[in-house]
Amino acid sequence: MRPVSIFVVITTILIVLTIGMAAPLQAAEKKPVVVGFIHSMSGAMSMYGISSEAGGQIAVEEINAAGGILGRPLKMITRDDKLNPEVGLREAKDLLLSEKADFLSGTISSAVALAISNHVKREKKIFIVNISQSSSITEENGHRYIFRIDTNAVPYWGYAPAIALANTWKDKKIVSLGFDYETGKNSLKAFKEKYFQLIPNAKIIDELWAPLGTTDFTAYITKIANSGADAFFLSCIYGGGELAFTKQAYAFGLYDKMHAIQPCAGDVETWHGVKKGEPYPKGTLATGRFPFWAIDDPKSKSFVEKHNKKVSFYPSYGAMNQYVIMYALKAAIEKVGGVDTEKIINALENMTLDTFVGKIPIRAYDHQAMMPTWYGIMDFSPSLPFPHLAKTQGVMGEESYHTVEQIKKLRQQK
Amino acid sequence: MKNWATQIISVKWGWLGILCIFLLILPFILPLSWVSLATEMLIMALAGCALNLMLGYTGMVSFGPAGLYAVGAYTTAILLTRYHAPFWGAVMAAPVLAGIAGLIVGWFCVRRSAVYFALLTLAFAQIIWTIIFQWYDFTNGDNGIVNIPIPDFFSLTNSYYFSLGVVAVCVGLLWRIVHSPFGKTLQAIRENPGRTEFIAIHVRRYQLAAFVISSFFLGIAGSLFCVFSGSVFPDYAHWAKSTDMLVVCLLGGFYSFPGPMIGSVVYIVLGKMISKYTMFWMFFLGIIIVFLVLYMRNGIMGFLGEKFSRGSH
Amino acid sequence: MTFEAAMGQTLSGISVGMVLFLIAAGLSIIFGTLKVLNLAHGSIYMVGGFLCYGLTTTLATIPGSFWWALLLAPILVALLGGFLEIFLLRRIYAQDMLYQYILTFGLILILGETCKFIWGVGYNTVPVPWPVDGKVSILGLMFPVYNLFLIGCGIAVFVGLLALMRFTELGRMIRAVTYNREMANALGINVPRVYTGVFMLGCYLAGLAGALMPPMSVVALGADMSVIIDCFIIVVIGGLGSLPGAFLGATILGLMNAFGIYIIPKLAVAFAFMLMIVILIIRPWGLMGKPE
Repeated sequence: MRPVSIFVVITTILIVLTIGMAAPLQAAEKKPVVVGFIHSMSGAMSMYGISSEAGGQIAVEEINAAGGILGRPLKMITRDDKLNPEVGLREAKDLLLSEKADFLSGTISSAVALAISNHVKREKKIFIVNISQSSSITEENGHRYIFRIDTNAVPYWGYAPAIALANTWKDKKIVSLGFDYETGKNSLKAFKEKYFQLIPNAKIIDELWAPLGTTDFTAYITKIANSGADAFFLSCIYGGGELAFTKQAYAFGLYDKMHAIQPCAGDVETWHGVKKGEPYPKGTLATGRFPFWAIDDPKSKSFVEKHNKKVSFYPSYGAMNQYVIMYALKAAIEKVGGVDTEKIINALENMTLDTFVGKIPIRAYDHQAMMPTWYGIMDFSPSLPFPHLAKTQGVMGEESYHTVEQIKKLRQQK
Repeated sequence: MKNWATQIISVKWGWLGILCIFLLILPFILPLSWVSLATEMLIMALAGCALNLMLGYTGMVSFGPAGLYAVGAYTTAILLTRYHAPFWGAVMAAPVLAGIAGLIVGWFCVRRSAVYFALLTLAFAQIIWTIIFQWYDFTNGDNGIVNIPIPDFFSLTNSYYFSLGVVAVCVGLLWRIVHSPFGKTLQAIRENPGRTEFIAIHVRRYQLAAFVISSFFLGIAGSLFCVFSGSVFPDYAHWAKSTDMLVVCLLGGFYSFPGPMIGSVVYIVLGKMISKYTMFWMFFLGIIIVFLVLYMRNGIMGFLGEKFSRGSH
Repeated sequence: MTFEAAMGQTLSGISVGMVLFLIAAGLSIIFGTLKVLNLAHGSIYMVGGFLCYGLTTTLATIPGSFWWALLLAPILVALLGGFLEIFLLRRIYAQDMLYQYILTFGLILILGETCKFIWGVGYNTVPVPWPVDGKVSILGLMFPVYNLFLIGCGIAVFVGLLALMRFTELGRMIRAVTYNREMANALGINVPRVYTGVFMLGCYLAGLAGALMPPMSVVALGADMSVIIDCFIIVVIGGLGSLPGAFLGATILGLMNAFGIYIIPKLAVAFAFMLMIVILIIRPWGLMGKPE
């Protein structure tokens, strides 16, 4: 090696060190309680990340205004996982190592969630999921250090729509379209499990799978239109993909041709740019998790207002979940008098959360909060300028989740 | 004035020694988060040097090194999780399988040159990515494989030393290869493939050999990352990761041996630092990349090399 | 599969293919003449989409706002392209292909983040404009008029470009420069200006595609990454630098995607790459390109 190169390597390292070490020193006041928040802050799913962060920050501000947690300020540090598990894992490690986070929370991508979950299991730190839906996070791959305060794919995309369909149209011939990845596949599996139980001679006459993230569904729509089914079911197609699908399906007149079951349509952030007269999921059976327009709680209304002021759009269920997570941590810390991980886990396991959607218990076996799922028909109504679950017809709680016995079996099979 | 500078610099073994000592005591003088970062830099440095064997030394521009890197990582991961293979077996199988994959892919790719070669490598890397992503039953698809049973011995600090050791050995091997007659032939091929063919060198065979050796070491890098991180994901094969490796080589300077290593350190630190301060960090990364291509084409090493060579006159 | 179903798949495949053709045509022309592999072409397409959305909403009070956006957005995109060519690309023509690849990758990051900065991170949509917003019944299947409009646009642009290349002075100059840059320069053709012009034309096409897409889909970040790979596949299959090749390649890819979901959905994605590899190995200049 030329001598210059060694010199350069050394100098580079020294420069790098100096910059790195020039980190701001911690203020010598009361040490804050640090929650590391990892979410998708850029890219196609960033609306959920930004919304969830807003929900969390609202809680942080409220809690600190009321004196903090046991006199200590609450601090939330946000990192972007870019929907990439490698990046998310790196950020999680950094939050625990350099920022000394006491807890981790967040994620929408199940792949990121699983990666972080695996890490916190080794490091013995708590990670609370606020959106990621793959059931395996708390079921097959569940362990002591992971919690989820949200629904999961089983109730939200599987059991709840199945029960909803069985209570309304009872269609016999269904064609399904989903994103081709694990959560998509498992959602359809859960839907079939429950629906065939309730309507025995029903059939999925065709299962279509689109590459994850695609926004062009034209070929699939023509196939669905020609399939002769009574209804179509979307498995795990949400966000920008769902909006694109709806536009295209509407243009092909698909909503007039057959029944539509779009579980994710209850999420408001997909539709808030859609005005009356534009394509929307007309008459679709959908599920939703935070129908704030129908909730008559002043705290909920205040939350919606604060969220709107922060980010100029209506809150997603993710924002609500993150809000609840912050308060849950506060309650647990106050109960045990500190941030000791093992004690906090015990406190959380026996906790009932006070949320805008009711008093929700956290199930001790799988650390899954029994968050409810509403179902209803999508339409416009005077409450909001964009389409939403205008006529909610029912709500499901614990009965729409896998039972503890089912989870035990899944964990044994692994 | 310049004389004493060149005198200090010329004590090259002294500097090498200081570097070695620094790397050995790093976990004791820096906080743990830096140890983690240093391990990542080491692994990326190895990947960069492996790629550079093809890129800088043989003049073969590959758009798909991440594909072979992922083969290495997934080999170790799948052997450990699905087949409960012994740890050392799984780790050593990674470069072997990556080498074989490199042989197959390379055999097709070296049939073409320049832009077509590059596009072929891209296509193959995307096929590897697609296979990993779609073959859910074998590779766990988009969820990746987490919870890989790495022996408990591999704490963060020990992973660092393990990576340091392996990377040092590999870099040493690559150094030998590059300075051997084989390596000289590769450089001749880079400079003028036509003439080299003319002196009875079977150019295509040498290119394929370079491809395979490169893939072998990329496989080791992938396996190291699997051990370090305890998980593998399909994005390890994505073309964006390939581009990361190319930028690392370019940043450090791909006409110099230690170039990719320097590029790795700077690239990872830059990424980490910029993303801390702004949501739009990719914008600044893009600016840096554009600046690099326009004004610092030979990378940091090239840039500094010019400065110092002028000074020593 | 019934005949109606086949017809439906064919039409949907072709309509999507036409949009891809526009982008790929731009990429192909740029490569053919400038010998630059423009990785940022997908980003240019995305910028076109965002501009279309931005202009449509800004001009919402004017009737026919979409059509104005369709007119203006590609022009703005072409101007952006010219700016990029003059200040950035021009410096690296003499360099190795690797530098172009990395430079244009850097542009992807810059353009993508700029879009994020200006238009935010949400999904945006543009309503289908009158008068192409109806449905027609084709053999019992309801088909949106807009998709037929896209097919029409694609064919019109293709024919227009061929005419441009074959019958106009500008086309002759472009072909001369493509064929032999030095000779063209010696004959007094202002080569740098032709280069800039061709790049702007390529960007115009991408911007046009970007502006045509929003009514039938969403405008969102991430479109750049997904579209560029498809473009590469098309351009390789059709032939780098060949306009008819791009048309053929786009049609093939569109139909492959449309029918692939009937046959083996799982492998449909890999199929396109395998076709790309086969072509690169046995006939690298593509189906309609010329061997160098």
